[in-house]
Amino acid sequence: MNSLKILVVDDDPSTRLLLKKWLEKEDFDVETAVNGMEAVGLISGHYYDVVLTDLMMPGGVDGLGVLDAARETHGGRTEVILITAFASVENAVVAMRKGAADYLQKPINHDELMLRLEKISSMKALIKNAGDLREAMDVTEQNAAATIQNLEMEISRLNKKLSVGA
Amino acid sequence: MIKIKPEELTLLAQYIHNISGIFYDQKKAYLFESRLGPIVEESGLSNYTELYHKAKANPKKGIEKKIIDAISTNETLFFRDTGPFDLLKQKIMPDLIDARSAKTAGRQVPLKIWSSACSTGQEVYSIAIVLKELLFDFKKYNIKLLGTDISDAAVAQASSGKYNKFEIERGLARNTLQKFFTLNGGSWKIKDEIRGVATFKKQNLMLPFNGLGKFDIIFCRNVAIYFSMADRKKVFNKLADMLVPDGYLIIGSTESLTGVCPKFVPERHMRSVYYKLK
Repeated sequence: MNSLKILVVDDDPSTRLLLKKWLEKEDFDVETAVNGMEAVGLISGHYYDVVLTDLMMPGGVDGLGVLDAARETHGGRTEVILITAFASVENAVVAMRKGAADYLQKPINHDELMLRLEKISSMKALIKNAGDLREAMDVTEQNAAATIQNLEMEISRLNKKLSVGA
Repeated sequence: MIKIKPEELTLLAQYIHNISGIFYDQKKAYLFESRLGPIVEESGLSNYTELYHKAKANPKKGIEKKIIDAISTNETLFFRDTGPFDLLKQKIMPDLIDARSAKTAGRQVPLKIWSSACSTGQEVYSIAIVLKELLFDFKKYNIKLLGTDISDAAVAQASSGKYNKFEIERGLARNTLQKFFTLNGGSWKIKDEIRGVATFKKQNLMLPFNGLGKFDIIFCRNVAIYFSMADRKKVFNKLADMLVPDGYLIIGSTESLTGVCPKFVPERHMRSVYYKLK
């Protein structure tokens, strides 16, 4: 039961299909884009939990462009994992500085990818749990606040009345 | 995690109260263990009694600071409970500026605001953002916004004005984020125009407030809840002396001053209660 929605972006059809097959087998909800341009279009209209994108792509929008689009549209909620060729670790570090969650080197190792996603998944669950707690606290706090503030004003009114009477 | 013994609970609870005023319930052993256990371990100590002695032996040194950072609850968010910020915008600032402008005749209008338990700074910057959106041009005003907290780590982060993506997602509308923060690497930094009106320093609310002057508005939200009733009384009585006669005190939405401090009277505006001096 994986609930992450993942966008796979790679101009290389075999990588794209392989990733899609792996991820669907693990029950992730997967969409694909054939280049950065298409990915940016999809991201602007849909929310993805994770964007798994090739770093080097033809056509004007590379992995960093996809990362920027995800950050601009969904802030930090979308986690971006870059896929890099062996020689481009430096670029991957640049991407991490710009807020990418992680990077994977080609050829992608199946288990490594799943471990990264598992990590993101449990982090998302933690965030949701923290959010639920916060919501519960907010509701409790708002209810308590209304009661306490009414009492505070009422006691103050009665005090004034008493001191006038005295 | 190293287990805490019953006699250590008493010892540490007393020590925590002495250094911070924070009341730690001895029934909550897990709280002592989860917050202090890591310090015991990383200091190479074997139990909480040793931690106590090491901290006591050198109060100016790192261990006490580490303990304070660990025991203080830094839960905060931008615009926590929107009520006080609406209150500031709709009632307090217009009233204060009317009153102050009449006296200053063309000179800069002075405004001093104190966030007395500012944690990592979100309350201070939320106040500053409200002021900026309300007043537009800070040059017509002499705004001093002071944020204090007992935790060095919290004060340091507040002062840096940097927040990670989790902190930024709490309470900040997207357009406010884009208007007042710049993205730098993985974190967002408050812009200089906002950072510039704020000052941060360490202040233990249990100790005397020296050299701070008086304030037009004091925020003291959701901190006294961690103090005993006797300490709450002390703190709010001291805060009363830090307000100008027509100043405003804002406390947490679920807090009450009934039976705590007779120097204040509550007043209500919309959904918020604030306090003025009697």
